[in-house]
Amino acid sequence: MTELPTIDWPTAVVFAPLAGAILAFAWPRRAAALGLASVLVTAGAVAALALQVLAEGAVLTRLGNWGAPLGIDLRADGLSTVLLAMTVGVGAFVSLGALDSYAPARADDRTRRYFWPLWLLLLTGLNGAFLSTDVFNLYVMLEVIALAAVGLTVLGGGRAAVRAGLDYMYASILGALLFLMGVGFVYLELGRLDFAGLIAAEPAPALTAALALMIAGLLLKTALFPLHFWLPGAHANATAPASALLSGLVVKVSLYVFLRLTQYMPLPDELLVTLIGALGAGAILWGGIQALRAERLKLLVAWSTVVQIGLIFVAFARAGQVGLAESWKAVALLILAHAVAKAGMFLAAGRIKDEVGHDRIADLDRSPIRPTLAQFTFALAAISLIGLPPSLGFAGKWVLMEGAMAAGYWHWVGVTMIGTLFSVAYFSRVLASFLRFDRMRSPVAEHQGWALADAAPLILALSALGLGLAAAPILAFMEIGYPFGATP
Amino acid sequence: MVEPLLLFDALLGLAIAALAVAVLTVHDRFAMIVLFIVFGLMSALAWVRLSAPDVALAEAAIGTGLTGALLLTTLHHIRAAPAAPVPVPGGVVVANLGLCALIFGGLAFAFLLTPLQAPGLAPAVAQNMAASGVGHPVTAVLLNFRAYDTLMEVVVLLAAIVAVWMVERGTVQAPAPVLGEIYRGFSRLALPAIVVIGSYLLWVGAQAPGGAFQGGAVLAAVGLLLLLGRLYRPQPAHRPFARAGFVLGTAVFAGVALLVAGGGRLPFEYPAAHAKTLILLIEGMVTISIAVTLAALFHGREPEAVPVSEKSE
Repeated sequence: MTELPTIDWPTAVVFAPLAGAILAFAWPRRAAALGLASVLVTAGAVAALALQVLAEGAVLTRLGNWGAPLGIDLRADGLSTVLLAMTVGVGAFVSLGALDSYAPARADDRTRRYFWPLWLLLLTGLNGAFLSTDVFNLYVMLEVIALAAVGLTVLGGGRAAVRAGLDYMYASILGALLFLMGVGFVYLELGRLDFAGLIAAEPAPALTAALALMIAGLLLKTALFPLHFWLPGAHANATAPASALLSGLVVKVSLYVFLRLTQYMPLPDELLVTLIGALGAGAILWGGIQALRAERLKLLVAWSTVVQIGLIFVAFARAGQVGLAESWKAVALLILAHAVAKAGMFLAAGRIKDEVGHDRIADLDRSPIRPTLAQFTFALAAISLIGLPPSLGFAGKWVLMEGAMAAGYWHWVGVTMIGTLFSVAYFSRVLASFLRFDRMRSPVAEHQGWALADAAPLILALSALGLGLAAAPILAFMEIGYPFGATP
Repeated sequence: MVEPLLLFDALLGLAIAALAVAVLTVHDRFAMIVLFIVFGLMSALAWVRLSAPDVALAEAAIGTGLTGALLLTTLHHIRAAPAAPVPVPGGVVVANLGLCALIFGGLAFAFLLTPLQAPGLAPAVAQNMAASGVGHPVTAVLLNFRAYDTLMEVVVLLAAIVAVWMVERGTVQAPAPVLGEIYRGFSRLALPAIVVIGSYLLWVGAQAPGGAFQGGAVLAAVGLLLLLGRLYRPQPAHRPFARAGFVLGTAVFAGVALLVAGGGRLPFEYPAAHAKTLILLIEGMVTISIAVTLAALFHGREPEAVPVSEKSE
């Protein structure tokens, strides 16, 4: 510690949303204003942190000045910072969308009051997880995230949402307990819980058990096939801004933890990598079929999340065990692409549902009300999720396939192609119904359903499209602090 | 004198396993909860035998006492619909058993292969005890070395009560069980004693087993007795105070952690001269929050001014 900056940005990134959550809960009448202000302050803190990382490299904060392993360190390297920026960026636009979705005309008072504290607690947990360098601390952050996410799942929903939220809670708690057992095995073997201890560790049976337990817990939380059973119901029945946060951000955090752990802990062998890739392939096929069969728009979007999670795991396995040191780039790009595009898509789907009055795909082309801007947004987000250039999704898939081809693993290339075909097929169902006018009973309504509320999803979808052009600088930034090379 | 204790441990282990099986196999839901409470008490005893009195206190107060109360009140709410047990095919049972045995075997194998001499962080904790401001290693870890984790655990509790208050339950408020005169007499005797015990657990936590979570759980029992005996009825007008109680611990903990920073100090780095005072302040406020939150979780809903159906949209 040579000199201290006046404000410690990693701490600010965690404590700003926490303060917002406390204030928004204590003063429900001012919840929206306080909540939005707190999200913006957090965004400012993340921007300042990003500038610091760019200038100085990875930023380390030793909370309490004890230092790991006795104390807990926060560490922001390139990867953490990019994911923080993703979280707070997507979160800020979803917050703007929430202002409309939970406006007095659409939602009751309780929904409006409770959205903000829950979302800000979620943001606290997400930011804390991306900055964590300690497996027990990660467990605590996953708990904060899980409870806030369950709250958001049931927020303002009916019986189906409560049912789905309960399923989600059981899955989430079971996943957390498995993770905690893994943490216990780590402490048993190493006598410490920080990442530096994990990196220095020799392979041992207890660490294999720990890794197996933690991976099982994380796969359950991130809904990799066949552990995805809770996801479609939970994400399809929540209100649109909550769905956007759940699908865009919450499943990403367990993916991120998975990425860190598999890089830091000794992986047993090639078999595990292949198994994870095979589960990803299963998710792509099963999720694709279910998305083709889905009757409601939001359910289709939720199944598309299952597919995309599968794709991300294929990206992880694409180059085999020797390629793990490089795989994280493709994984990180796809995480980013999916977060931005899916948040925009869920918000757009919510707008379509609000304007049309229902979200049955088969009847969308009968409706004389055409919320054109929301439909356009949906199409843009679909372009990124399918992976057409120049979107961020394209960049991610490109890195994925490049690595798979270089390693000679053509089966992963094939799986990715099949996934892309499925995406084209199920999104075409929706897009075709947007463009058909021959089944309408009455002429198109004069009001085309343009509103200021379309701005937030539109900006998200455009970002998903445009960020693909910035993929190279993003990749370069993510390598700051050598996330998976030399260690502090 | 090792032999009798070894025998005791073996019996305790067997009893815990048998109780677990009984909880899972018995069909009557009330019996299930009672068995679960006994299971929790036996587990607390096991923690004592494992020389972890702090965990034992937490298990007894939260894992058994409060969870038992929550389960019983939930049973009271769902009494109307006793679900018929769905028959499970024998093949599924066998497959599940096999899978569980496989996982258990694998984990036991990994456990037995690990040498148990790893010192862990105990030496580092012992070395830094003098600087921590408290005399009890567990409190030093929870409130100083790893205070950030503890703060986030308090946040978890806050998230839980926010989520519970958010869930609407419709208009029907299940009537509380009617408790007679004897119960009121009992609570008059018990309440002061509980307050003293809870406060003592909090205070003694600085030097010996105890602390905010255990003290808070015991104090929450005051709230439970008041609610059950109808000595206190939650009113909509009390909501701001309840909310203040829920956030108090988190706010003070986070505030202290941030305010000590500056002048070369980092967040959570208490000045050595004031460490004990600050830790007691945090623990006191967190205890209040835990007690209020746990009691509110037992009540289980936000006190509403008007029935949900009549609420103006």
